Amino acid sequence: MRYALIAILALLALLIIAPPLLGTGWQYALINALIAALFAAAFNLLVGQGGMLSFGHAAYFGVGAFTVIHLMQSVEYGDIPFPTVLLPLAGAAVSLLCGALAGFFATMRSGVYFALVTLALAELLHSLAPHWDEMFGGEAGLSSMRMPSLGFTFGSTLEVYYLTLSWVVICIGLLYAYTRTPFGRLTLALRDNEQRIRFMGFNAHGTKIVVFAISAMFSGVAGSLMAISNETANYSVFSTQVSALVVLHTFVGGSTIFFGPIVGACVLSLFTFVVSGVTHSWMLYQGIIFVLVMLFAPKGIGGVIQAHIEQRHALPWKRLAAPYALATLAGLMVACATVFVVQSLEIVLSREYAAAVARTGEYAPYTVFAREWQVFHPFTWLFPVLLLVPGLYLLRRAFARIQTLWDKDDDDDNGDIAAAPRELMEGGH
Amino acid sequence: MPRWITTAAAITALGVIAPAVQAEPLKIAIIESLSGPQTSTGRLIATAAEYVIDQTNANGGFNGEPIQVKEYDNAGDTSGAATKFREAAADGAHVIIQGASSAIGGQVTEDVRKHNIRNPDNPIIYINVGAEAMELRGKKCHFHAFHFTTTAPYRTVPLMQVMSEQGDLGKRVYSINQNYSWGRDMEAAIVDNADRFDYQVVDKVLHEVNRIQDFSPFVARIKSENPDSVITGNWSNDLLLLMKAVGDANLDITFGTIFMDQPGNVANAGDVAEGHYVAHSSNIELLDEAGTEAYKKATGHYPVFIEPTTLNGVGLFAEALKKVNFDGGDIDVNEIALAMENTTFDNGLGGMHVRKADHQAVIPIVVSQVASGVKYPVDGTELGFKPIKTVAGEDAIYPAQDSCRMRRPK
Amino acid sequence: MEFLIVSTLNGVIYGMLLFMVSAGLTLIFGMMGVLNFAHASFYMLGAYFAYTLSGLFNFWVGLIVAPLLVAIIGMFIERYMLRRVHAHGHAHELLLTFGLVFIFEELIKLFYGDFPVNYQRPDYLNFAIFNLFGTDYPFYRVFIGLVALLMFIVLFVLLTRTRVGMVVRAAERLPDTARALGHNVPMVFLGVFGAGAALAGLSGAVAGAFFPTNPNMALELGVIVFVVVVVGGLGSLAGSLIASLLIGVFSSFAVGLDWSLASLFSLIGLGDWANSLGGLVTMPLSSISATVPFLLMLIVLLVRPAGLMGSKN
Repeated sequence: MRYALIAILALLALLIIAPPLLGTGWQYALINALIAALFAAAFNLLVGQGGMLSFGHAAYFGVGAFTVIHLMQSVEYGDIPFPTVLLPLAGAAVSLLCGALAGFFATMRSGVYFALVTLALAELLHSLAPHWDEMFGGEAGLSSMRMPSLGFTFGSTLEVYYLTLSWVVICIGLLYAYTRTPFGRLTLALRDNEQRIRFMGFNAHGTKIVVFAISAMFSGVAGSLMAISNETANYSVFSTQVSALVVLHTFVGGSTIFFGPIVGACVLSLFTFVVSGVTHSWMLYQGIIFVLVMLFAPKGIGGVIQAHIEQRHALPWKRLAAPYALATLAGLMVACATVFVVQSLEIVLSREYAAAVARTGEYAPYTVFAREWQVFHPFTWLFPVLLLVPGLYLLRRAFARIQTLWDKDDDDDNGDIAAAPRELMEGGH
Repeated sequence: MPRWITTAAAITALGVIAPAVQAEPLKIAIIESLSGPQTSTGRLIATAAEYVIDQTNANGGFNGEPIQVKEYDNAGDTSGAATKFREAAADGAHVIIQGASSAIGGQVTEDVRKHNIRNPDNPIIYINVGAEAMELRGKKCHFHAFHFTTTAPYRTVPLMQVMSEQGDLGKRVYSINQNYSWGRDMEAAIVDNADRFDYQVVDKVLHEVNRIQDFSPFVARIKSENPDSVITGNWSNDLLLLMKAVGDANLDITFGTIFMDQPGNVANAGDVAEGHYVAHSSNIELLDEAGTEAYKKATGHYPVFIEPTTLNGVGLFAEALKKVNFDGGDIDVNEIALAMENTTFDNGLGGMHVRKADHQAVIPIVVSQVASGVKYPVDGTELGFKPIKTVAGEDAIYPAQDSCRMRRPK
Repeated sequence: MEFLIVSTLNGVIYGMLLFMVSAGLTLIFGMMGVLNFAHASFYMLGAYFAYTLSGLFNFWVGLIVAPLLVAIIGMFIERYMLRRVHAHGHAHELLLTFGLVFIFEELIKLFYGDFPVNYQRPDYLNFAIFNLFGTDYPFYRVFIGLVALLMFIVLFVLLTRTRVGMVVRAAERLPDTARALGHNVPMVFLGVFGAGAALAGLSGAVAGAFFPTNPNMALELGVIVFVVVVVGGLGSLAGSLIASLLIGVFSSFAVGLDWSLASLFSLIGLGDWANSLGGLVTMPLSSISATVPFLLMLIVLLVRPAGLMGSKN
């Protein structure tokens, strides 16, 4: 626990000190990662702790964003004085109300049916919003400008970053504190055994509504921060993609651990930021990562880390070092092979390449991994095979070894890692 | 890999000697939908824009340096565009080119406006090559935004004028459009011109955007009104599916369209496509053959759909660059913007320039008809777009909107 | 009258197409409790495979082989992915298929590009079957309807009249008993998943030649298929058929109806007041028709979650 606290404080210090040294592009990417982290944490209150899988959380995120943009417009035109730093409060309040209302209906159902109700609600909003110009500004959306507040102009990205950071840290702190309250523990019971809540004399439906509304409220704060940072809000914020992304973030990070979704959101948003500038297939990579995590680490990245922390005294670290290094190497080989094949296909099958072939009549060499490759040279296609096959074999060996070493100490956790290699083959293509 | 297009070799070949002081290279950011559903349009815009810049670079670049172009993928949504705008600004972009969506156009133009208010010493120019919403030239207009596409009334009026002259408009006109600002702009333009071209709007439909799979019910509804012609501003899937349903029903009514030249439409409509009209800002049939062949040689296809608009817009920008000279020193973006206001560019159909009041480009509009026996058949059919008449920009354009109040730099 | 007949015909045939896609989904859900998000992706894969095959061989080869290829992919997913995560619960299975949606869409874009591909039916299928009030009615629409009808009959007979169907139904209702009786239940699941995928693939192969075959087709149809399955009752084949037809006919008629909330108010004499509100209240149904299926789905979920025909869960 002490180590965790030190780690969090160190991370916080880094988040405070580092950004001024980065370019505005990175500062903005960090703002987005922080917002995604808060959204995922809020979403996970419902999913990870309450056991209710929502496919329409974009609705509450978007409501927060639109509330704030309306308020910002009023402030900009001088109708209402409202400090910029407190704007998310308004988003939170309206999202809370909407969440309570939607939650009342959605929580009448459970399981798949609950997921479908949330999906239908969000889709309903998404399909109606573009027709309601006064409220959502049509397809162009609404825009405004941040007004100076508390001596800050909020003109620079850095100032917005610190505003976002403060709100995200406070909200994640509150969400964490929530899990420690008696009501937070009741939420967990909701996931594990709803019957028991009833027998204990609590109102299960009422409890679910409250959880739903709180989750919506924090999603609304995330949406508010997005609106403040972008200074616009558009109906596409209600789209399925936004709902889908938070699901992706949460489960890649691991929904059973409080910090899992936060890790997942940060990692994936920054991954998107870096990779989307390099390849157009970044969504493919994101999908592959998600499916691999679902298959081999059902508790997500956070789950794997947690398992290691829990077992840190029991594990034979020295003997594990070699297989871990081997697994990393083999994993890199498989990843390289996959990336090589995808990038090669992206280039060779593109319209530009076809045009070049039609123009010159020859298949020009292309560049991947800073090396030129001939399309029809056998080595070009032997190369990924040479990486993939031994990679998969080594991965399998390494995981078998890791499994044996883990099993010596405990039998219950992380059996999932071990059986990985065979199915990596399917995910890798 | 970031595609910084550098043609240093070309410059050395031309013998341009770089000045002793490091010259500031002009940086252009293309913020487009390069993944996600609108990729096809975004890709075309990027291709055409890069083609023009490549040519400028082959002729020595700008300010003694090759122009640097970088593509930014906005993934087809506004928040992606916001992210990429900030990235581009951080990379020191002077110019942003975008076009595949009016919603994203709205985001980009607002971002540019706010950036320029906050950074008056480092302003950015927004070159809009595809977003057609009236609002961008109205309430959201500003000095650093230039719009090289048309808007609904800009294209609809020449379209109906030519159809009327050809006797194909008739007295009964049907309006079918998408239910968002563009479609509503279209519908308004169709209704407003009823007296001018002496017709009656027998029915007007606004339908959901890109959600309808089966357009045959709409065809049934059109058929039941028995119109002489149908005017539609539909684009992408909504036009493709409408054309397919029209083709399947063998409905022989003349369609006046804005985006018929988007690849795929003619093939899907089949034989009934013949005789349909399209109003576009360029027609390859009228262009200089050497130019179109050169384009094909570089990109693998003739300029289609949104590409000519992009070529024109970025072309005018490149022309304006010739008028300014920073002698290898720092680039003053405002000076480039002022030069753009005073540049006339020959796009092969006549001169085009930018109107000072709202920075809308004044471009000639070509009204063409789908016909066989053309030089450039499309979609693997025998049909292509036969130019009927070119309407000069001054005759086609409407007065600048009152809602545009542009503040010019001092 | 003309509008009525044409719209009904159009609606029924669109409904049959929806049924064809949703039949596999409802079958899989009924049997395995897996809500397969990637089902519409199977539909897309079917269309693309058929496109490639029809280019290499001919249209009919595409129509027959494409569903088989999709079935193989489906079985692969069931055997090596779904079965693997089964122990973690239905939510996990659902999430897995959700991830697959991204992968399939991006792979299609990687191989076929972002533009629609030109997948066309052969010319000899391209004729008008009859003429309705001066408008040609294309044969291919009727063909889609016939394929769907044939599929429904085959499925129905297979499930209710044959031994295979008996085993399948037994494995669905009482998996343990079925296993005790010596039936290979995992094998049955594998077969059902493959068959469900094949049905989606078949509908893609048939419909892709009528509607454009593009990388967004899964996205466009995906949600509406969910609506069909929910309204019909999760797991009920007959319910799916009825819901598909309902939604098909409704979408067809919504186009021609200029109803709005305001016209509803005017029935009780509040028309002027409602019109003065503007906004959503005066929006005609035709322009927000895509909203209605979601509303329908929401109402069904809240009022009668078992759907029209589903058994109470």
